[in-house]
Amino acid sequence: MSLPDRIDPRPPRRIYRWDLDKTYLQTEFDSLRDLVRTAFQKAHEKVAVPGASALIRELSEQGDSRLCIVSGSPKQMRAVLEEKLKLDGVKWDEFVLKDNVGNLLRGRFRALRGQVGYKLPAILESRVHAPVEAEEVLFGDDAEADAFIYSLFADLIAGRVDERVLSQVLEAGGVYPDDQVRVREAWKKIPVSDPVRRIFIHLDRLTPPAQFSAYGPRVVPIFNYFQAALVLLADGHLTAPQVLKIAVEMVQTAGHNIITLSNSFQDLLRRGLPLQQAAIALSQALEGPNKLLAAMRPMPDILAAFSKRLAALGTPPPPPPVQAVDYVKLIHHAMPRTSKRRGKPAEE
Amino acid sequence: MVGTQPQPVTIAFDVMGTDHGPAEVVRGAAMLSLESPHIHTLLVGDRDLIDEALAEVKHNGERISVQHASDFVGMDEKPGEALARKPNASVAVAARLVAEGEAQALVSAGNTGAGVLACARHFQLIPGVRRAALATVYPTRSVRGAKEDPFSLILDVGATVEANAEDLVTFAVMGSAYARIISKNDRPKVALLSNGVEPQKGPPRVVEAHARLSEMHDINFIGNVEGIDIPKGTADVIVTDGFVGNVCLKMLEGVHDTVVELAQYAYKESLRWRAGLAMLSSGIQRIKDITDWNQYGGAPILGFDKIFIKAHGRSKSRAIANAGKVAAKVVANNLTTAIREGLKK
Repeated sequence: MSLPDRIDPRPPRRIYRWDLDKTYLQTEFDSLRDLVRTAFQKAHEKVAVPGASALIRELSEQGDSRLCIVSGSPKQMRAVLEEKLKLDGVKWDEFVLKDNVGNLLRGRFRALRGQVGYKLPAILESRVHAPVEAEEVLFGDDAEADAFIYSLFADLIAGRVDERVLSQVLEAGGVYPDDQVRVREAWKKIPVSDPVRRIFIHLDRLTPPAQFSAYGPRVVPIFNYFQAALVLLADGHLTAPQVLKIAVEMVQTAGHNIITLSNSFQDLLRRGLPLQQAAIALSQALEGPNKLLAAMRPMPDILAAFSKRLAALGTPPPPPPVQAVDYVKLIHHAMPRTSKRRGKPAEE
Repeated sequence: MVGTQPQPVTIAFDVMGTDHGPAEVVRGAAMLSLESPHIHTLLVGDRDLIDEALAEVKHNGERISVQHASDFVGMDEKPGEALARKPNASVAVAARLVAEGEAQALVSAGNTGAGVLACARHFQLIPGVRRAALATVYPTRSVRGAKEDPFSLILDVGATVEANAEDLVTFAVMGSAYARIISKNDRPKVALLSNGVEPQKGPPRVVEAHARLSEMHDINFIGNVEGIDIPKGTADVIVTDGFVGNVCLKMLEGVHDTVVELAQYAYKESLRWRAGLAMLSSGIQRIKDITDWNQYGGAPILGFDKIFIKAHGRSKSRAIANAGKVAAKVVANNLTTAIREGLKK
């Protein structure tokens, strides 16, 4: 094979991992009726969380990122979910769905609702093939165990969690032995590195943000994707014009306005996120003779509202301290919502 | 899309200086952020305390913002002196923000005098209004308006101690406009509080006000009522001056507290009385529901160009949320304009 015939894609510099239900899609599955309705919804009837598709599109703009979706939806929904993503202009590199029928046929009832035994091996196996230097940003929600699983994933590959703790977590999380083997095998193949930069948790259930403080400042609970975009701007994943585009989509399609956007901005500041520079970058982006941005009125008003919200706080609070996560103690966060163990911390 | 959603409105909450502490007001605002998508809250007070309380409670961060205020006026402080010593008191900062248009109304469960004074310093009186009136709602036997509100409005209960006839007429116009908006009561019955129902009964200012109100066809003036008519609910709006209104309100509250104490005494004293009370429990619960402050949220200071809803100092989160809803409703229905137009006639 001659050289011009074989052009490999550039290795990804960044990997964005997304959950689907309640993170990308506005999905209700709290009751049997919701479940049935969700199962029979057509692609065009499914509704994305405001700003989610715009954020994914902007993140993929750089061309050297990968989008990996790991969803708890059953494999049978693949066609309709793929169609929905295509309708939204979202291109993905990996799309893993749960084999619920297989679990049912094999009598693995715990696996039907359990998330640790499904998501953790899936994302570890995906990471095996990633370049060691590829950074990761993960997106989940507060309906399931995303904050727990994503943090565990990050600390496993960074070598901050040892075999003993992993075993305790997998046992306590009710993970089946074959899935435990998959977790260990994949984990051992991954070179030690610390690639996870952020874990965003979409507060679909409006869980109080303080409930995620045990995971440290890497986990950022968000009320909307404008907040994620602001943090990603501060982290260098997005540019200011890209953030403005996401905001505009949310204003135009989801009824967001000056008040909700500036309140969202201040909410992050009050939690110690260093966004002052991001605000300056946004205002500079609006100063240029950009045709698209000129159409984005009332963006200057939003920035004025931002400045007021910033000034209202006096000295912004310091960022929360980095801390080790006690996964054994937090295992109850990883249990399915209806589990009796969900609300109980592990015994000392 | 927003579609038919009501216009967004921002309500400033003075978070500090209440009987139950800042966390209770924050919880109320959080409740409001979940229940009313069009209402945004601006929490004014100690930022650390607010954030601490907010982090622990379910809320929608898109609808809440915070303004740090380093001081507050306590319940037992003298309003004038306290505000002079503490220019950054939360109630003063909140009133200033409302005056500057950052919010459309102010809700406070703190020191009433400080609230009125802060409003007097930052808000303007509506043209034609000489003195503002502090209103209160009082539970009654009968219900009124499309919402079947089981309370009447009494004003003034303390803002203007010596009101003249002109003030009383102004109070009647303002109270009538408020009842129309809040209770959805098209023709609220307005009465003057006096020592007899006859037109010539009472001091000269009441007699003169009676004569003037009798000629105002836009007000559904039913004449004079006596104290006994307040709990009966004879009138929807009862007009008096701040001195009489305050004495009257305190006496009504005292009667309520005494009845509750007597019931507690009876419960402890005799098994037979306890059995009787148990048989009456559903009725007692009904009375408790009606007289529960938490249902009403708060009452307005009427006469300023901006809205101030004074919540009871003992307000819990539900009452605070309801006070926010009352404030939003008053703003949405342009109470100030309604009063201004009422005074022109």
